[in-house]
Amino acid sequence: MEGIPITLSDQNSKKPGVIFVLEKASLEVAKVGKSYQILNSDDHANFLRRNNKNPADYRPDIVHQALLSILDSPLTKAGRLRAVYVKTEKGVLFEVKPHVRVPRTYKRFAGVMLQLLQKLSITAVGKREKLLRVIKNPVTQYLPVNSRKIGFSFSSEKLIKIRNYVDTVNNESDLVFVVGAMAHGKINTDYTDDYIAISGYPMSAARCIARICEALEDKWDLL
Amino acid sequence: MAKTDKTTNMKSKPNKKKKKNSGPKSVAMKNKASKADNNPFETIWSRRKFDILGKKRKGEEVRIGLSRSLAIQKRTNTLLKEYEQTGKSSVFLDKRIGEQNNTLGEFDKAIMRSQRQRQLKSSKKSKYNLSDGEDDELGIPGLGSLSERDDFEDDMLSDDDNYDDREADGRDKRSNVLKQLNAHNPAERDLTEGEENKHKSKKEVMEEVILKSKYFKAQKAKDKEENEQLMEELDKTFSSLVQSEALLSLTEPGKTNALKALVNKDIPNEHLINDGKKPETFKQEQPDSYDKLVKEMALDMRARPSDRTKTAEEIAQDERERLERLEEERQKRMQAPDDSSDEENEGNEKLSTLRPKSISGDDLGDSFTLDEEPKAKKGWVDEVLERNDASGSEDEDSSENSDDAEVDEGSEEDDDAEEKTVSLQDWEQSDDDDLGTDLEEGEEEEKELDEENDDSTDDEEEMDPRGSKKLKDNVTVENRKKDRKSLEAKNIKENHAQRSVQRDIPFLIEAPKSLKEFCALLENCSNADIIEVIYRIRVSNAIKLSAENRKKIQVFYGVLLQYFAVSANEKPLNLELLNLLVKPLMEMSMEIPFFAAVCARQRIEWTRTQFCKDIKNPENGCWPSLKTLFLLRLWSMIFPCSDFRHVVMTPAILLMCEYLMRCPIMSGRDIAIGSLLCSMVLNVTRHSKKFCPEVIMFLCTLLMAAKDKKSSSHEESEFYHLRIQVLRPLLCIRDRVNDIRPLNFLTIMNMPEDSSFFSSDDFRSSVLVTLIETLQAFVDMYEGLSSFPEIFLPIETLLLELAQKQNMPAALQEKLKDVAQIIKKKAGDSLLLRRPLQMQKKKPVSIKLLNPKFEENFVKGRDYDPDRERVELRKLKKQVKSEAKGAVRELRKDNYFLSQVKEKENARLQEERAEKYGKARAFLQEQEHAFKSGQLGNGGRKRKR
Repeated sequence: MEGIPITLSDQNSKKPGVIFVLEKASLEVAKVGKSYQILNSDDHANFLRRNNKNPADYRPDIVHQALLSILDSPLTKAGRLRAVYVKTEKGVLFEVKPHVRVPRTYKRFAGVMLQLLQKLSITAVGKREKLLRVIKNPVTQYLPVNSRKIGFSFSSEKLIKIRNYVDTVNNESDLVFVVGAMAHGKINTDYTDDYIAISGYPMSAARCIARICEALEDKWDLL
Repeated sequence: MAKTDKTTNMKSKPNKKKKKNSGPKSVAMKNKASKADNNPFETIWSRRKFDILGKKRKGEEVRIGLSRSLAIQKRTNTLLKEYEQTGKSSVFLDKRIGEQNNTLGEFDKAIMRSQRQRQLKSSKKSKYNLSDGEDDELGIPGLGSLSERDDFEDDMLSDDDNYDDREADGRDKRSNVLKQLNAHNPAERDLTEGEENKHKSKKEVMEEVILKSKYFKAQKAKDKEENEQLMEELDKTFSSLVQSEALLSLTEPGKTNALKALVNKDIPNEHLINDGKKPETFKQEQPDSYDKLVKEMALDMRARPSDRTKTAEEIAQDERERLERLEEERQKRMQAPDDSSDEENEGNEKLSTLRPKSISGDDLGDSFTLDEEPKAKKGWVDEVLERNDASGSEDEDSSENSDDAEVDEGSEEDDDAEEKTVSLQDWEQSDDDDLGTDLEEGEEEEKELDEENDDSTDDEEEMDPRGSKKLKDNVTVENRKKDRKSLEAKNIKENHAQRSVQRDIPFLIEAPKSLKEFCALLENCSNADIIEVIYRIRVSNAIKLSAENRKKIQVFYGVLLQYFAVSANEKPLNLELLNLLVKPLMEMSMEIPFFAAVCARQRIEWTRTQFCKDIKNPENGCWPSLKTLFLLRLWSMIFPCSDFRHVVMTPAILLMCEYLMRCPIMSGRDIAIGSLLCSMVLNVTRHSKKFCPEVIMFLCTLLMAAKDKKSSSHEESEFYHLRIQVLRPLLCIRDRVNDIRPLNFLTIMNMPEDSSFFSSDDFRSSVLVTLIETLQAFVDMYEGLSSFPEIFLPIETLLLELAQKQNMPAALQEKLKDVAQIIKKKAGDSLLLRRPLQMQKKKPVSIKLLNPKFEENFVKGRDYDPDRERVELRKLKKQVKSEAKGAVRELRKDNYFLSQVKEKENARLQEERAEKYGKARAFLQEQEHAFKSGQLGNGGRKRKR
């Protein structure tokens, strides 16, 4: 039995949301032997060397970790996440809905990604709703108009504390965070409004995202 | 086709064949080869869309321009020709030699044709041809020869061809004519072959038959020999087996002899058998003694393995399992069953015994069958017994008393039993005598109820009511004391009568049907004898012996219970006898659980009604009699106390609590009885931890009574009983007490109400000790209650107050403080665990997550539908669709091609016509011009003119 809620429900008021864009994700399908697989540096090192590729560049686990840290955050659970866009190194762009439960193990994640990149969409279990789907480039057409797009890079000169930075941002506008999901290098996007570094040390994508999420949860009082 | 190029110089015929096989395709290929260099569009390759590592796609690497031009060529070769043929009735077939082969030049063709001519010339037929001019004729190839053949040599020609072909190609390449010939041939050939086969097989079959028969004969002989050998071996082993011990142990002694005889007989027989084969057949005809023996042995009982004797560990294990199971059941019954599902639970669980009892008031007879739930009953009764055993003694009261107070009382009772020299005067005046007879009345009522409900079932029981009715005749309603006396007097008379006869106890005793009979039976018996008598009655009327015995035993149980009650009321209390009676009573209630429960309930009900009557005039003192106390104690031993709801124990506990609640405390004796009841309740509720507020309140009241009167105006007094106001400080210790002695309950009971002992400080201090110990036990028991601080904190202050009083003995003071300390600590603990009230708080609701659906090893293009049929259907549909699309596409291209051709044709015609027109017009113009200019017509006209 659910009683009358004591606190006023403020579902009507529109709250600002968050969008993450993971750039340069290394999700590449290849035919290894007879089957298609998502290339990763562990299992396919020899295959990649045979094809004159650098195995160190093939790191789909970074995407996995990043997605997990986004979708597991209280920010997402509270419904503030609007969407996650992932753009692969090859230029394939796909959207991840905020209510996806990403597989926890890498192997299953790779299975989902493999199917996504071949079938171009993944539906929910028992429903027709598409949870992941490949969409047309560029990503800017899907971002809200008045959103603030923030790129992250260790190489940026502008080293700031994310909590303070988030506080200064306008409360109404949505936020778009562009984070690189690659092993080396930096993102170079032309659509970002700002380009900041939030740590003096080079950070992993997952850690960076966790920091962003924590700052936002702190700001919006999500416990 | 490269091969054909190379082999141009070879014989013409194979080439011809090959060419025929490879139709338009080869043409297209050739064209491609030639044109590939010309058209720049055909050199363009299609672009790859995605570069996937490690993948080689077939469809992507296509030269579209080339394939397009190939398709057009194909059409020109097939469709265009068809189109050109439309509307034409005859077809021109070019059968000239070498005309079909494109690779051949004119010169080669001519060579082939001349070769052919030569062959024809050199053949046998033309040998005799005389004509000279034929050389010329044959010089014209093909047509000429054909006409020739048509004229003369129709059938011969075919032979020729046949022959030629064989010569030329061997078997591989046959002309059409030969093929036609062959079409007739196979039948004949088969015929000949079949004949050959038949001929052969007949001979063979005969041979085979002979061979087979020989083989089988040999086989038979061999088998026989083997059988003989086997039998020999078997006989030998059998005889050795008979000598050995193993068989002896298995068979009966009579048969072993027969066996041995048989073996001895067999052994000479064997020799005979070995000598000649005749005896064997003879033996088979008449039934052998051996066979007989075998048949007999088959009919014998098989030896069965006996049960393995259990090891000590296994026995212990079994016992342990049984105990665990019982404990589990008890726990289950202790749990509170939901009210709604109560009946169902009872139906399912062993508690089902309770169901018939819950309606015991009306329905006694039906529920008497033990067979329904013997096990369940046994469970708890066993447990009671087990508990009894655990305490190590058969004593009634001291069995379970781990509590100090109880132990005290137990020891007191023991003391009392030893004394036995207590004055009897006061006893008869007590009300208990009344109770005794009234109890009988109660029994009677119960029996009457039985009768009303089902007369037919309990014939035996009807006897009992009659007996008690006789008793009732003696009883006059107005004066019960007198009744009792008269009854006693009667008994005494009988005693006298039988005392003279010192008889032995009979071994088989019919179950007595009334108390009177039973008393008569027990006349002059010692305690041990009484128990012996009861035991013999039970044995001789054991329920298992016959169905009727059940009723007898039931009646006897009632009688025994009555006897127990009566002897509890007797003046020189025979405590030993009571203790001894407990055992048979418990065992019997194990046997007839329903009846035991019914009896107990009836008695409790009756006691309660009696109590309600007594309470109306409080000066009588309505505290329970010794008999009631003993009965309550007995029931608490017979029935499981820890059950959440029990037909007997629940009302018993309620009754005890009611006593504590409602009876006014008038004297020291009341206090003693009350404290005994308290400890009994404690005992009963120890396992189930039921909360009995009456007990706590009673203890508190008594503690208040220990205070001075002045301080009783505390606010707590409002909480407690109304009687607190009228309560005198009965337990207030006035003077110093040197030592605290334990009280003896029975002596107290025997004392008159206004005895000086009750006002002594000795009594007070010892009662206080008992009270505090009981209180401590309750504190320990109720520590889990969430309302513990509220219940016990007022008592704690009371205890501290008492402890500070003067004249309080040091030992008592210490105890008081200890208990207060314990209460304080536990109350503090439970207060610590309490959580403050909170506003209703809703946890934030997270968004609903959905799992993505994906396959373990995804392969693109495979259908992951679990329904295979649907998948198949879908696949077929897809195929149909793609095929239809392809066909449409081809048709469209064909149409386009045709329309182009037509257009071209039209254009050509147009041009032709235009040209013609132009020519005609030019001619006319020229003429006109000439005419006008006078070159042509002028002269003529002029001539005409």
